[in-house]
Amino acid sequence: MRWDYPSRVLVVTWCIIGACLLLAGWAGVRALRDKPVIFVQLVAAGVVEVAMIVQIVLAAIGTGSGEVAPDPLLLWGYLVTALVLLPAAAWWALLDRTRWSSVVLIVAAFAIAAMQLRIWQIWVLG
Amino acid sequence: MSDLSAVEDTRRPAYGAGRVLIVIYGVFAVSATARSGVQLIRDAGEAPLAYTLSALAAVIYLVATIALAHNGRRWRKVGWVAVIIEALGVLLVGALSMTHPELFPRETVWSGFGAGYGYVPLVLPFLGLSWLWWSRPSRIAAA
Repeated sequence: MRWDYPSRVLVVTWCIIGACLLLAGWAGVRALRDKPVIFVQLVAAGVVEVAMIVQIVLAAIGTGSGEVAPDPLLLWGYLVTALVLLPAAAWWALLDRTRWSSVVLIVAAFAIAAMQLRIWQIWVLG
Repeated sequence: MSDLSAVEDTRRPAYGAGRVLIVIYGVFAVSATARSGVQLIRDAGEAPLAYTLSALAAVIYLVATIALAHNGRRWRKVGWVAVIIEALGVLLVGALSMTHPELFPRETVWSGFGAGYGYVPLVLPFLGLSWLWWSRPSRIAAA
């Protein structure tokens, strides 16, 4: 049976990918200008983090109501692993007030975008 | 280079660009650990070689992350060893997965020279090596 529940979750997934790319671009501009991460960027990262929690809640509701993903263990591995990256980048931004905190944020945002793409693949391609 | 102990090393651990390398290694440590965890929990017996390699890669990324971040004298040696193993691993596993795909019925981080991770695993060890070379104390003391 095709797992057709996650259309809502997939919308969230694409929103997260888009937000991560925007965040990476923003951090990229600041890195090029030799500037560290600023607080507004951490707020934006917080929004992405909340979106990922929403995604997990939706996926959990789906799983709870019997909609099982093609590969639940792998899916949940990505869902949970993606959560730790932005807090780590934020922690870094607070400690390191140089341009390199911006580069760290770029790395974290791109890694999350890649993981979200894998989540999409697992859901849609099975 | 006459008296290294006379040179005060005021650098923070892994100053500058090296810090970004720590983060990339950290991301790979986390994702490789997660991947091998999933593989080992789900179906350990299915492809023992590939899954053992995944776990090994995870450990190496973890050690390299700690070594680069610590940047102390002994940890730098550990870092050299870890990054060299990593370079050999990605080249060897990459080549073997091309010539003998039957050895690796399941993906590892290093399969196809890290193609599944945008070839970052192929580039990373060489960035690591050049960073370790560039940041070595004797070079900084000589400057």
